[in-house]
Amino acid sequence: MITLFRLIQSLSLLLLLIGAVTAEHTSNWAVLVSTSRFWFNYRHLANVLSLYRTVKRLGIPDSQIILMLPDDMACNPRNAFPGTVYSNADRAVDLYGDNIEVDYRGYEVTVENFIRLLTDRLDEDVPRSKRLGSDAGSNVLVYMTGHGGDQFLKFQDAEEIGAWDLADAFGQMWEKKRYHELLFMIDTCQANTMYTHFYSPNIVATGSSELDQSSYSHHADNDVGVAVIDRWTYYVLEFLETQVTSANSKLNLGDLFDSYDESKIHSQPGVRWDLFPGGEPEGRLRTVVDFFGNVQNVEVENANATEPGSLKEDLAEIARLVEKWQKRDEEYSAILGNSSQQHGENQPSESVRLGSKKTGPTRMAEDNSWGKRLVGLSVVGACTAIWVAGSILGRSA
Amino acid sequence: MTDEKGDSTSPLATASSDSKPTAQRIPPETPEAISTRFLVIATFWAVIIFLGFPIWWKTTSIYRAHLPIQEMVDWADGKTCRPVFPLEIQVAAPGMQSPESQHLLRTTQHALDDLNEFAAHHLRLKLTNETSTAQQTEDSMEVASNGEEAPDTALTVRVIAQDGLVVPKAELHADTTQLDVFYPPSQVPVPSSSNPPLSVFIAEELQRLYGEEKATVAHILSGEKSGLDSVNPQFAESISRRLRRSMKYADTYHLSFSLFTPGPEPSSWDIEAAVQEYLSPLLHAFAPISNFTVDTQVQLYATFSPMAPPPVYDEVEAAWTLKKEDLSAFVNAAEWPLNPSIGNGPTLNFILYVPAPSQAPMMVKENRASSWIVPQWGGVFLLNPPLSPAGKGSNPAHLSRDYLRPAFMTFSHQLLTLLGTPTTPASLPLRLQTLIRIRAASLLLSASSTMGSLARLTESLPSIPIPATVASSVSITLSHLSSTCSHLRSGRFSAALATARVAETEAERSFFEKSMVGQVYFPDEHKVAVYLPLLGPIGVPLFVGLIKELKRVVAGWKARRRAAA
Repeated sequence: MITLFRLIQSLSLLLLLIGAVTAEHTSNWAVLVSTSRFWFNYRHLANVLSLYRTVKRLGIPDSQIILMLPDDMACNPRNAFPGTVYSNADRAVDLYGDNIEVDYRGYEVTVENFIRLLTDRLDEDVPRSKRLGSDAGSNVLVYMTGHGGDQFLKFQDAEEIGAWDLADAFGQMWEKKRYHELLFMIDTCQANTMYTHFYSPNIVATGSSELDQSSYSHHADNDVGVAVIDRWTYYVLEFLETQVTSANSKLNLGDLFDSYDESKIHSQPGVRWDLFPGGEPEGRLRTVVDFFGNVQNVEVENANATEPGSLKEDLAEIARLVEKWQKRDEEYSAILGNSSQQHGENQPSESVRLGSKKTGPTRMAEDNSWGKRLVGLSVVGACTAIWVAGSILGRSA
Repeated sequence: MTDEKGDSTSPLATASSDSKPTAQRIPPETPEAISTRFLVIATFWAVIIFLGFPIWWKTTSIYRAHLPIQEMVDWADGKTCRPVFPLEIQVAAPGMQSPESQHLLRTTQHALDDLNEFAAHHLRLKLTNETSTAQQTEDSMEVASNGEEAPDTALTVRVIAQDGLVVPKAELHADTTQLDVFYPPSQVPVPSSSNPPLSVFIAEELQRLYGEEKATVAHILSGEKSGLDSVNPQFAESISRRLRRSMKYADTYHLSFSLFTPGPEPSSWDIEAAVQEYLSPLLHAFAPISNFTVDTQVQLYATFSPMAPPPVYDEVEAAWTLKKEDLSAFVNAAEWPLNPSIGNGPTLNFILYVPAPSQAPMMVKENRASSWIVPQWGGVFLLNPPLSPAGKGSNPAHLSRDYLRPAFMTFSHQLLTLLGTPTTPASLPLRLQTLIRIRAASLLLSASSTMGSLARLTESLPSIPIPATVASSVSITLSHLSSTCSHLRSGRFSAALATARVAETEAERSFFEKSMVGQVYFPDEHKVAVYLPLLGPIGVPLFVGLIKELKRVVAGWKARRRAAA
């Protein structure tokens, strides 16, 4: 009887745990990329900044948002409203504001940097704010916008990222457990071709337009002088801003994708579910804030609880540790007073580095200048020898 | 040379043109000119074939260092190493005769083995004499590896006779790794009894002490999800909760202590002394596991985010209260300068918030708590200092070390929690030892799986370069992994963690080698587009010259054969 009861109890606990484990993610990251520069692409930067504002509103902190802006529209000399960027002709919300953190700007926005960012193949001296620090428990939102074509997206009029490269980058992220679930959104011409090559699991991908379809801008602001937002992004944002009003919203991805209206968007948006475990029915149940919001289940510490590991117990243990160290310090200083000889031997190895430690400048790159000079010298010497030999041979002929 | 001859023949040609204007002929080439042209063309082709082609081949080929793929995959699949955790426990029985204590040891070990269901983690008892015990208890505080070959002593059990007891009782020293077991003198096991109650008691006590650790190790070893069914259900919830909130392992953590206040005061705090006094003991205790760097800041006029619900005054408590569900919006991530991006370790944020005098005291509504943990991020502490009587009551301008004591004690606790320290047993040194074993196991697995990822990556992306540094990192990783495995097998857990840390660092370095960027996919059209403008202008004259020359050679050869025939 008792064993039966215990069996049932453990079974129910197990079921509960499995339910909890499958839907669990522990952090949220967002990678928001605009890929085009110049004033007439104002709308791409406005797209990205609007998304940036939304994810920040829903709780993702700046440290977990990677914002890539190839140009600075707010400070463009053609901007009639200096220091501001608007995504709507009513100019109600200044997207630039006084609090945005651009992680990659100007010519830092390259295909290489983007792929390095996703796969974390960066130099050691790249600061953490420029890194995607996601792990196996992170939900990642990747939003891209710019000018694209069949299976490519142009970066900065200079280079392009192919759908294959993007798929490989996501594949490597999955291989190294750098995401739990990933939502990929792209607003460009022929956007849906960009996610055709993805092969790693747990990705939901959506794009603004089919193959051979353009993705159109929504409207222009006559005072700014250019289009200020793209259609697909505009309607996605409309959904996010009007329906997903708080970080506790229960609306799911199904609702978001159902809100696409082809007559308004003027192109056929696409969604790819097949990489997601459980496919469309399962993927539709993911809430919008699973990707656009930030999971944060704070744990309030009960000052009166006494179970092991609770605050009170730990405090007592830490206090004991502190006392012990104080005692040790006193003994140590006593020893120090007695004989300075022992000082060097008794000193514990300093493996804890406190803030007071000063670090000097470190060399940025390893350069073997003498070796390089030697190589250069020998190349010059060889060239001279060939020239001399050639001229002698030529004269004799 | 040919020019001169050409000039000299031209008047002759013009002279004859009068009679036959259509039959203007180019004079036959001299044999020297033909052989010169042949030499020129041959030289061009020789340069292309013997110089250009190898250079092109060399410069466009991708260097791929040889990696021991099969070995790496074996590590990832767990075929090479099956981690085991034999814990050595020293038993001292000062009041017993040698045969009695031997018997006690044997029966206790037997009882322990019967209780144990998880073979990878087992306790080994070892009898010791009193004098060395005291010495080792002192040492084990620092979790130093004692000697090269001897296994670490996980716990010392002292079995002491005490009068006036009916049943045995156990007492765990909270600041050392020592367990005292008191027993009534009547229960000294007689050598004839096969299952004395004292042995059973000690075995059960030990089993209880290491229950959580055993469950955690089982959970880690059997993978993320499937492990929970083999785990004792009473620990399953606490383990999964701990894994949810603790940080991912890093070699170096950055601790950031911030004082936030909405007004102008307090504007200074005795932070250096507080860190030195309250925090560094803990950081020293963590030294074998991770390194730490610390920075601090004071931010005045730090307001709540406009979207966060403001605190509400509670008449009953006479305090300003924050609702529990609103706490996640408490930290104004948008405006508080919290991520200093210093160093390369992950940052743990600890926020000391001093509310404005008009909103003091502040607390959490549900349980009057003043602190909370934000999983994988850090902790917050609400400090309500006594308001200074000057004027209408304002915060003190300076927070002294004593004011900071509760806050820093709480931060220490939060640090323990965030670093994934298990909650039992109730002795900090033991918990840190457990953490060492848990970290060694998880690092071993994560470095192994990184090796597997790298092996699969190497095979799936044939166009990615693999520099020699990756190969050397891989070999360092593999050698450290195998030494970790052997350290674990012989019970030297500190040494195992040290090698596992190296293995993990090298594994990460090899996977994240920055020259291995897969931005190399070029569709064939791209290759044509790159090569055509270069090779077109060069190639056309070369090929035409080659074909003409071949034609001439073939024609000459045919003519000679005809002449011979």
